[in-house]
Amino acid sequence: MNTHNPSSAPSYQIHCRMTQEAAALERLCQVVRVRGFRIHQMAVHTAGDHLEIALTLEGARPIAMLQAQLEKLHSVAEVCLAMPSLARPRTA
Amino acid sequence: MNGAQHILEAFHRHQITTVFGYPGGCIMPLYDALVDDVGVEHVLCRHEQACALAADGYARASGRLGVCIATSGPGATNLITGVANAHRDSVPLLVITGQVPAPLIGTDAFQETDVLGMTLGIVKHSYLVEDANALPGILEDAINLAQSGRPGPVWIDIPKDLLLAEVQTRAPARPPRPEPACPDIREALALLRDARRPLLYSGGGVSLAHAEASFRAFAEASGLPGVTTLKGIGNAGKHNPDDLGMLGMHGSRAANRAVDECDLLLVIGARLDDRATGRLDGFAANARLIHIDADAAEIGKLRPADVALRGDLNAILGAFTEALRQTPLAIEPWRKQCREWRTTGGFATADNEEPHAPITGPAFVRQLSRIAPDDTLIACDVGQHQMWVAQHYRFDHPRHHLTSGGLGTMGFGLPAAIGAQFADRQATVINVSGDGSFMMNAQELATIRRYQLPVKLIILDNQCLGMVRQQQELFYNNRESQIDLDDNPDFVAMARAFDIPALHIERTDQIRRGIETILAYRGPMLLHVAIAREDNVWPIVKPGASNREMIDQPRRTTNASKEQVA
Repeated sequence: MNTHNPSSAPSYQIHCRMTQEAAALERLCQVVRVRGFRIHQMAVHTAGDHLEIALTLEGARPIAMLQAQLEKLHSVAEVCLAMPSLARPRTA
Repeated sequence: MNGAQHILEAFHRHQITTVFGYPGGCIMPLYDALVDDVGVEHVLCRHEQACALAADGYARASGRLGVCIATSGPGATNLITGVANAHRDSVPLLVITGQVPAPLIGTDAFQETDVLGMTLGIVKHSYLVEDANALPGILEDAINLAQSGRPGPVWIDIPKDLLLAEVQTRAPARPPRPEPACPDIREALALLRDARRPLLYSGGGVSLAHAEASFRAFAEASGLPGVTTLKGIGNAGKHNPDDLGMLGMHGSRAANRAVDECDLLLVIGARLDDRATGRLDGFAANARLIHIDADAAEIGKLRPADVALRGDLNAILGAFTEALRQTPLAIEPWRKQCREWRTTGGFATADNEEPHAPITGPAFVRQLSRIAPDDTLIACDVGQHQMWVAQHYRFDHPRHHLTSGGLGTMGFGLPAAIGAQFADRQATVINVSGDGSFMMNAQELATIRRYQLPVKLIILDNQCLGMVRQQQELFYNNRESQIDLDDNPDFVAMARAFDIPALHIERTDQIRRGIETILAYRGPMLLHVAIAREDNVWPIVKPGASNREMIDQPRRTTNASKEQVA
């Protein structure tokens, strides 16, 4: 659980491609939450039998740790971290 | 062939011969198919939680896939603790549940629960079968996935109508397992050669990778002193003089001191769990760290590694062993120092109790360790007795020690022992339990009786929740809260009600005879061991404190205090 104040936590953008199957998005969101991040924005579209997901996340823990956990998911094909936003605090 | 028959066909193809389950409405098509099947032995436990824990014990003891089956709704929810237990300890399980018929999903039908949703966090992966023709492929994936890489439970939820539906497709060809690649070990080897005080830190990943022999060859070639996590106990074998035993909250003073003073920590198949490391900023503070693991997500999760090697442990340890055999390490002064610490700060080996003294947990476990055959499988529950076993029983192999490490599931021991006995019908299997834990799955005495399993049951009974009482005493100003179990049933009479003979002992001079009696008996037998309510597990590190801040047993004048403690 993320115990830090979300508004002061760094913000990250992640792109994720995963197999479209039952509970795919729930599985992704569950890992994000349990590993200490909060979803600020999420956009999903279907591409064939895959889901393309763009996430803006906030969290005080190392984003590489979350990336490794997401990559472990059997239904996740790819996780890309958009570097420019790395460690940039959310100002909105 | 319908969906249910396809499941059994997959069991046969993967040599799955034993499954643990409990029938009910939505899984009935599978139980109907079982009537005509002679190749799969179905073990009927008395609670679905026990089905999952027995499958877990079967998998841990055998190194094979454990399988459990239940119906929808309460059947599935009862499995959850057992599946979470397997998930936390990376045990390969296949979980199959019936679900309400597909058209009824989402209508709040009788015994409908959102199994997929409620189990996301406790499985390696899970499937809801939405098309009968997808079932053969899902089964194949699930069976392979549960056992590959870092193992874990995989759950398949199958609507009843799809279990009954004709399946047109066949199982896809099994993809060959990729050859494990061995990462470059040169940088790690250079660090190891530079170190003056290098230390091995091994965990449950060694046996999960079936790398026990590779690990011992490496330990011998390197000559490294070593510590183990709870799940790594037995990695080094019982005769290795450089094994300092378990580290952490209830670890030996020797193990925690060696970690504190080492200048290089070589972590193998371990995840630097908080019970082992204590407060992280005080853990191996002056050491560099090499982390070897099958799971990339564990590397750097809690402590950055100076060198990380991800891959198959057999290949990596083999490469190290070869290099070290050619040019051994020069660490003799450090080895000597660690052996000295082992002598002065290891767990006690001698029994100094007077014959008529009350039994202490450590004294009982030490005698059990001396008397039981080397290949005995010990299935523990959770609490003080679990730590006494970890400290004082000398295991020769990690698969001989079945313990709930990550989740700490009270009630694990009895069903796990049942599973272990099914994994090896000839093995000596002992469940060492506490009075609190035993009552959590005591209904499984009926399973032992039904199958006449020769499991030996030992209850170390202090008439309270000892570990909770101990922490209330030490860290909550001795304000005891809800720990009294002095109204326990008569365990001897209870066992006899299940046609299981039982003995009661309470004095030190009765220990040997008690143990020998239950071991000599051909069938199941229970030994009820009365121990003192006030006995604690020593040493202890306060939760959240550094391992440097170990608390030793205070000096007392009772007989029990005469034993040497770490």
